Amino acid sequence: MLQVLVNSLALGSAYALLALGFVLILNAVNAVNFAQGDLVMAGGFVAVAFGMLLPVPGIVLLPLVLVVMALIGRALAAVAYFPLKSRPPVSVFISTIAVGIILQNLANALFGAEPRAAPPLFAGGLVELGGIVVSRQALAIIAVAAVMIAAQYVLFQRTALGRRLRATAQDREMAEALGIRVNHVIAATFAIAAAYAGAAGLLLANTFFVTPTDGGNYILKAYIAVVIGGWGSVPGAVVGALLIALFEVMLPSLPLIVPGLAGLPGASWLFSQTIATILLYLMLLVVLVVRPQGLFGEAVQRRA
Amino acid sequence: MIATLQNGRHGPLALGALLLVAWPLVFSTPYDLRVFTLAGIYALLVLGYQFVFGHAGALALTQGAFFGLGAYVTGILGARYGQGFLVTFPLSIALPVLLAAVVAAPVLRLETHYFALATLGIAQVLLLVCLLAEPLTGGANGIPGVPGVEILGLSLPRGWPLLLFVWAWVIAGAFVAQRITGGLYGKAFQLMRASATAAQCVGIDIARLRLRTFLFSAAYAGAAGALFVHTLRVVSPEALEFHVMVAVLAMTVVGGRTRIAGAIVGAVLLVHLPEWFRFLESYYLIAYGVALLAMIVLAPDGLVGELERRWPQAPETLPTAEPLPPRSKLIPREPLLAVSDLRKRFGGVRAVDGVSLALKRGEIVGLIGPNGSGKTTLINVITGLLQAENGAVRFAGEPLGGLRPDTIARRGLARTFQNLDLVDELTAIDNVAVARAAFEGAGLRQALLAVGRDPTLERARRQARFLLERIGLGEEMGRPCGDLPHGTRRRVEIARALALQPSLLLLDEPAAGLSESEQADLARRVEILRDDGITMLIVEHNMPFLMPLADRLICLNVGRVIANGTPEEVQADPRVIEAYLGRRGEQA
Amino acid sequence: MRRFIALAVGFLTLAPVSVVAADASIPVLVPITGFLSLEGTSQRNGALLAIKNAPAGVRVTYDVSDTGVAPETAVNALERAISRGPVTAVVASMLGTQMLAMLPVAQENKVPLVTVSGTASITERNNPYVFRFFPGDAVVKAAHIRYAAEELRARRAALIYQTTAYGQSGRQHLQENAHKAGIEIVFEESIEVAVRDMSPVLGKAKAANPDVLLLHLHAPSTALVIRQAAAMNLRLPIVSGSAMHQPPTAALLEPAELAGVCAETNASPVSGGTPEADRFLEQYRREFNAEPDGFALGQYDGVMMVLEAVAKGASNAAAVTQALSTGSHKGVAMTYRSDGKGNMAHSAVIVCYDGQTRVPRIAKRYDEILAVTR
Repeated sequence: MLQVLVNSLALGSAYALLALGFVLILNAVNAVNFAQGDLVMAGGFVAVAFGMLLPVPGIVLLPLVLVVMALIGRALAAVAYFPLKSRPPVSVFISTIAVGIILQNLANALFGAEPRAAPPLFAGGLVELGGIVVSRQALAIIAVAAVMIAAQYVLFQRTALGRRLRATAQDREMAEALGIRVNHVIAATFAIAAAYAGAAGLLLANTFFVTPTDGGNYILKAYIAVVIGGWGSVPGAVVGALLIALFEVMLPSLPLIVPGLAGLPGASWLFSQTIATILLYLMLLVVLVVRPQGLFGEAVQRRA
Repeated sequence: MIATLQNGRHGPLALGALLLVAWPLVFSTPYDLRVFTLAGIYALLVLGYQFVFGHAGALALTQGAFFGLGAYVTGILGARYGQGFLVTFPLSIALPVLLAAVVAAPVLRLETHYFALATLGIAQVLLLVCLLAEPLTGGANGIPGVPGVEILGLSLPRGWPLLLFVWAWVIAGAFVAQRITGGLYGKAFQLMRASATAAQCVGIDIARLRLRTFLFSAAYAGAAGALFVHTLRVVSPEALEFHVMVAVLAMTVVGGRTRIAGAIVGAVLLVHLPEWFRFLESYYLIAYGVALLAMIVLAPDGLVGELERRWPQAPETLPTAEPLPPRSKLIPREPLLAVSDLRKRFGGVRAVDGVSLALKRGEIVGLIGPNGSGKTTLINVITGLLQAENGAVRFAGEPLGGLRPDTIARRGLARTFQNLDLVDELTAIDNVAVARAAFEGAGLRQALLAVGRDPTLERARRQARFLLERIGLGEEMGRPCGDLPHGTRRRVEIARALALQPSLLLLDEPAAGLSESEQADLARRVEILRDDGITMLIVEHNMPFLMPLADRLICLNVGRVIANGTPEEVQADPRVIEAYLGRRGEQA
Repeated sequence: MRRFIALAVGFLTLAPVSVVAADASIPVLVPITGFLSLEGTSQRNGALLAIKNAPAGVRVTYDVSDTGVAPETAVNALERAISRGPVTAVVASMLGTQMLAMLPVAQENKVPLVTVSGTASITERNNPYVFRFFPGDAVVKAAHIRYAAEELRARRAALIYQTTAYGQSGRQHLQENAHKAGIEIVFEESIEVAVRDMSPVLGKAKAANPDVLLLHLHAPSTALVIRQAAAMNLRLPIVSGSAMHQPPTAALLEPAELAGVCAETNASPVSGGTPEADRFLEQYRREFNAEPDGFALGQYDGVMMVLEAVAKGASNAAAVTQALSTGSHKGVAMTYRSDGKGNMAHSAVIVCYDGQTRVPRIAKRYDEILAVTR
């Protein structure tokens, strides 16, 4: 049982990194980056490529992956955001879809379609913790994600760059008037967002593998997490991501937790992962209709 | 078509149509014909998507799902129950429309990215349900053996007959779309997209308009889905998957979001593009993605929009002026407007805190007060854009509480905006004409049944010219509003408000940004309006402008009325001076 | 890819030296993008290798076209290939929904489709132009269940299958065969390709107390289930669908995680065996720098049967169709002949992993499996 919890927490913390990147771009430029899921996939493949060159644990590869992905994020801003920055946000939505198509097919052409596994963060295998057996990788994912989320917090709250990032997110014109070079800050935001997505890719690509078509699934998770957590709220996105993972893993596990449920007619149908996905979307619709500001309130004032 | 060729204004359009007809004649292998047929199906799908995405400006991600639903209806009824086209086709349209109507109530009021995600969620649920409902849908395997188009025992072979059949539907769909969006009704879409608030305040029921665009999109998608299955003869969940939605979105953006030619250009181009890149083998989708990105970045208004920009059309000739028909007078009851104990708060801030005031018929009242004193909020509550927590607004004796802004506007309460809210792409004439939509009976049926150019649009434009001339515009009224100077735009907005033939006009800082001569001109015209019997409430900081005009001044401070009297009395009131000075003191 | 074109060109320049007996045009229409591109690439490689090894005197022109994931893309590719001149035979996609969409077009144009798609219904549509060189679900799922019942003595099975065309049609055959073999399905659940965490489904499967775990999943999900089953210490024999036998799937897992895992397939080229199979393996590795799977071998055998028919004088699509539907061919994996519906392959093997290496051994071979059970 606790093992299931650890698994869902590991999945959720990787989703959280992804959603964090999504919400940073959202706040900086008020546009949805639909390539965010494909950036996770790209991060996974970058990790796989480094893993083939250097036989070292994933934690050593992490800085390399972050740097490469930050460059990719900078390039994403250059081709898909800056040319369209004076257009309505929907233009960026579509240009990032095009970038997603390019990334996905580039990965397919370079690496082939077979699933790949990146090196584990420290070492594979299992570890016994107070009587329960959990995978080392799952614990490592949770730890690394927690450190990265904390780093993001420190970067944004305690550094000059962070102040500029926040100022730009709050009011771009005002930031410009204060002498902040907004374009640099936006480029940095894309770089950070892509680096976080890449980290998620590295973390996921060991336990859960990576294939070129993974992006579509991840972007939906990030999008839902950000809406559930409250549009534009950074802590909300993290919590939303954890909730999604918890729901995905916990609902199908209910018959294990409450043994009586397994005997109900249609239990295997009701507690399947497909039904869990359907319920996730229905819950999302309910949240949108009943509480459009998200569960934790809306941080960004949308422009009318 | 002949007419457009004759007047020569649509040369590129005629050339495009010619190219379109020539295409399948030149490239006519069965393969070419099939791809061109598919292009027609996507053109129909995109034409439908333009309603909700282009005209209503809402990023709906359900178009692929409606397409798939239409496809499944035809697939299931055709393959399992042997039904012909006359049964399957109408049902393939009806079911998506029904689904759209059901989901519209909760999702249509959501904004931008919320709406996008909600619609995406609906599409995903539909896909998963289709995968699970194996007995009905065949699950992931889908349903093979769907018959071709069969009408009254006649079956339509593939190749040219199917191509012509599909493109006949495209032409019919384009015609209907042109009728709906090309007339006065269509101008209402444009205003709604540019500013939902402004559209409501000229009496347009935007909720209804949005719903209609959504239903139209679903209908076109269902039709396209049905034709798709007849072409492919198989229906499978791929028809419901997100890549269909991505393709439609890309076609709409690449072609042009609101142009019928754009739908056709986008569909024909993007259906063929991957086929042309096939020689690149496993790299061809990368090339497709790069080409797509390049088109979005280089022609953000779409290829047709880009063409229109390069070859600007000759300005249309101005219509002759025509006075507005007399409007039935309101029963004269005093006061015209009565506001009592109105309260409105935002979070912890009391923006309007117990305001009571009354306007007599024929009065010009100035509403003054420091920034943030609640003036605009008060106007927004009176016009129904905001709902008050407490208090009542009565207009000509009738309570306005709970009424929608468009209803209030149609009753004769018009307003202008502090930040001009015009459609930049439309001419001044059309910006004013659109405000006649609610009165000239511009509606769906009327738009569809009109022969030739929409007569209501023609009449509304003649009336618009009349109004614009009264407010002092000349030839420049035929230019797009985006090109006009600030002062002229202010006057266009007033003319638009006058198109509602209001009894009461609320002007929000009308003199802001005007030169002194423009201010003098405006003051003169305001007096003429008063002489015509229009009561006015003018929010203004510019005292030299307001003082000679106003019969009375009301001063607000922190949401309360602190003074109410003749201009001289109010100007001398110590509380007013303190409110302004105190404010200044804070700023210093 | 450029290398293959160069090879083909080299081959063409050599051809006139030998006596040219016949020309053949074989478009290769397989998914090389999208979620099935792993299998599609195997198909392509198998087909290209056969074209390279064409019998003396047969000159082959070919053209590789992607079919992606959507049925209309596959049909477009087929129409395009047919529009470009007479076609001898078409190497057609693995993907069942694409095959179903291509079938009527093939029939109208009287062009044989040579595929390794396992989806049962493609040969159930009375279409004389489909030829399947991989044992269909009816064959491999019979082997799948028989191995569990006869060799593993299983009586209670837990079944996990995918929510795709592959998964849903395989599940039907697994259920029917399990019923016949007296195996009770005590748990079953379908999972989406996107599902990453398998612990809920494995936990529930374990709780149902089965004595074997049957999988019918695509490669990524198969690897995820097997890895997480090992991590959970499930201690159940696993009999998987053919995705497990693909070397890239095994490459994702540690040999220890593979202990006790078996899989059905038509053949396991990496396991070697006959001299022909070893030659195929060696040549495939050299040409493509990759490990072949059963799909590549099935497609190789299928194209080879077409080319041999051409060498024997079948000069057009009609003659090739005739030869495929009436003749027989001793291929590398097995001997192929049509059952009258286009099912060419009637043998299946079960391969098992020993926990030491990622190369499986053939545990059991089932020839003429349908004839035996009937």
